Amino acid sequence: MIRTTKMMLVAAAMALPAAPAAAQDAYVVGLSGALTGPNANVYAPVIDGLKLYADQVNGRGGVNGKPIRLLIQDNQGEPSKAAADVKRFLSQDNVLAVINVSLSSTYAPMVVETRRARVPLFYAGAVCPKEVYPPADELQFCSTAFAPGFDSQMAFRIIRELAKEPVRIGFAAMAIPIARAEMDYAEGLAKSLGMTPVEKQITPPPTPDYTPFATKLKDANPNWVFSWSPWLSQVKTFEALRRIGWAGRYLTIAHLQAEDELARLKDGELYVFGANSLFQDALPVHREIRDAAQKAGLNTPVPQLAEGWIAGMVLEQALRNAGWPATPEKLVASMNNLKVDLKGLRGGPIEWTKTNHFRGTQSYRVYRWDPAKQAIVRVKDWTSFEVK
Amino acid sequence: MQLAVNIVVLASIYALISCGYVLIYRVSRVLSLAHGELMMLGAYGLYATASLFSGHPLLAIGVSAALALAVGGLVYALLMRRMTGEAVLAAVLATIALGIFLRGAMALVWSAQEQHPLELLGLSNPAVAVGPTARISLVALTLVVVTAAVYVGLFAFLRYTVWGIRMRAAGQNPLLAAQRGIGLHGIYALAWGLATFTGGLAGMLIACDSALDQTMLIIGLKAFPAALVGGLDSLAGAILGALIVAAAEVLLINYVDPLLSDVVPFFVLLAMLVVRPWGLFGTKEELDRV
Repeated sequence: MIRTTKMMLVAAAMALPAAPAAAQDAYVVGLSGALTGPNANVYAPVIDGLKLYADQVNGRGGVNGKPIRLLIQDNQGEPSKAAADVKRFLSQDNVLAVINVSLSSTYAPMVVETRRARVPLFYAGAVCPKEVYPPADELQFCSTAFAPGFDSQMAFRIIRELAKEPVRIGFAAMAIPIARAEMDYAEGLAKSLGMTPVEKQITPPPTPDYTPFATKLKDANPNWVFSWSPWLSQVKTFEALRRIGWAGRYLTIAHLQAEDELARLKDGELYVFGANSLFQDALPVHREIRDAAQKAGLNTPVPQLAEGWIAGMVLEQALRNAGWPATPEKLVASMNNLKVDLKGLRGGPIEWTKTNHFRGTQSYRVYRWDPAKQAIVRVKDWTSFEVK
Repeated sequence: MQLAVNIVVLASIYALISCGYVLIYRVSRVLSLAHGELMMLGAYGLYATASLFSGHPLLAIGVSAALALAVGGLVYALLMRRMTGEAVLAAVLATIALGIFLRGAMALVWSAQEQHPLELLGLSNPAVAVGPTARISLVALTLVVVTAAVYVGLFAFLRYTVWGIRMRAAGQNPLLAAQRGIGLHGIYALAWGLATFTGGLAGMLIACDSALDQTMLIIGLKAFPAALVGGLDSLAGAILGALIVAAAEVLLINYVDPLLSDVVPFFVLLAMLVVRPWGLFGTKEELDRV
């Protein structure tokens, strides 16, 4: 009850207009994200992780002696709400940067407004748009783990290494533009590698029963299925396939929920790959996140906080390098020359240059559930792709 | 064979959800646009009771079903009763407001995380063979059985019990029913209770078969065309409407394009509205305007 009341108070406080930031005494950053709405399970934990990290920084005295003030608005994954949020951030709050933690459909209005105001737009936990790859757009930056193009390349490297037989591959994705485009790219890649694409199922969100989609996929008789979509779409298709008796191997991108879900599903042929290390690796930074979450009384599953924590580390470093008083111009300059050690949360640092706002190398690890050990095991250690 | 199983399961989902729309409309002529949210609340009710009565699945399911019934009655007593005598549009708008309120409240209380109540209940969901080539999950099979039981129960209730006959009377002519001494508020509260109960059952079973997440309320909306196609005041129509919509959806997924599955319920609905606006088994009512 107390927790609920606290959450309601926080929500009410977030709904109140933020104080005008004419005379800034803090690094003010606006965040528009899908805190509620159908896809909130993907984005809300990222916001929790980012806020948790910012609170830690502020607790240590802030950045350059000034606190980070995160202004959080819920856009529910709707472009119109995201547009309204960013206009408010820029016109009323004089923010130094805008953070997007939402669906790709919200990108366009935020890009337009931030470009007009010459303020950096930072994608944190939202899929990286290709504009952050070299040659990068001057104002768009991304720290998110998953990335179109590179993810499919990694997927096929895994399949080639694990497959002992000719690969007949099926694809499963949610009917959102970015996932469909990635599946088209993956299908072309499969053909070029001598694999046989047999079926591509694009499932509209949400659907009450994934079995009809899975049935068509199973009827095509793939021995591998690759899925690149929001987690629920990936895993519900997988579960439906298993229910109707498909026994092949399923490969998905490891979103925030992957670690808990591998343990729930306990299926030895479900492979997940991702750029973030799992908490079972038990690094000191994992313990740090767990302790911070426990201290803050957060209800969000701890493994889901890593993505937001990483975004927080990047933001802190960018603000530190921008100095005080900071301006959007100084912040962009700082972000154009940034290197953040992620303490093992990723396979390498986040490194941004003037032409690369993604990272210098994208590294992945592969995990699966081992039924014999009754534990999650690492199938493949960090495998890196150079980002050119 | 698998296709037939898929159609039956999807039709059962739509039928179980849409009977809530029908019950409320049939008795009070109000279209409840909060049905998806009430369905989701039923699923969260199961999640809460499963956490509370860990290790006692039957108790958890029983309490959550009773809660769903009570919530429906409370919605009527606290909100919809105030709408009595007001224009139907006001009542419909009240259900929209209720839906928005419930959506926000559920996100605040239970967060946006997906949940798996079946695990909390300590139950599993194995696949069951249906003939030599088809399979169905145990929860989906339960859903089909529950849907059949709900409809048989409702038909018997409406035909053979005093309260059921009163409910039909109130739906046909509320003024005459009231003059004959039937307490309309009690009847309406019961209709809301039963509608929320059946919607809640649908929510619980869907959550157990896949997961409980924020998209469930949209699934509630997807069942709406099934109710309209069958006729908003006909339970038999809801079954047929659900079968038509589910068959169209599954066959299009399999033989044409999966993406069409999202629009086909509404395409079937539009076709029905053009040909027969009151639905297959609905009552042809006097229309003031279109």
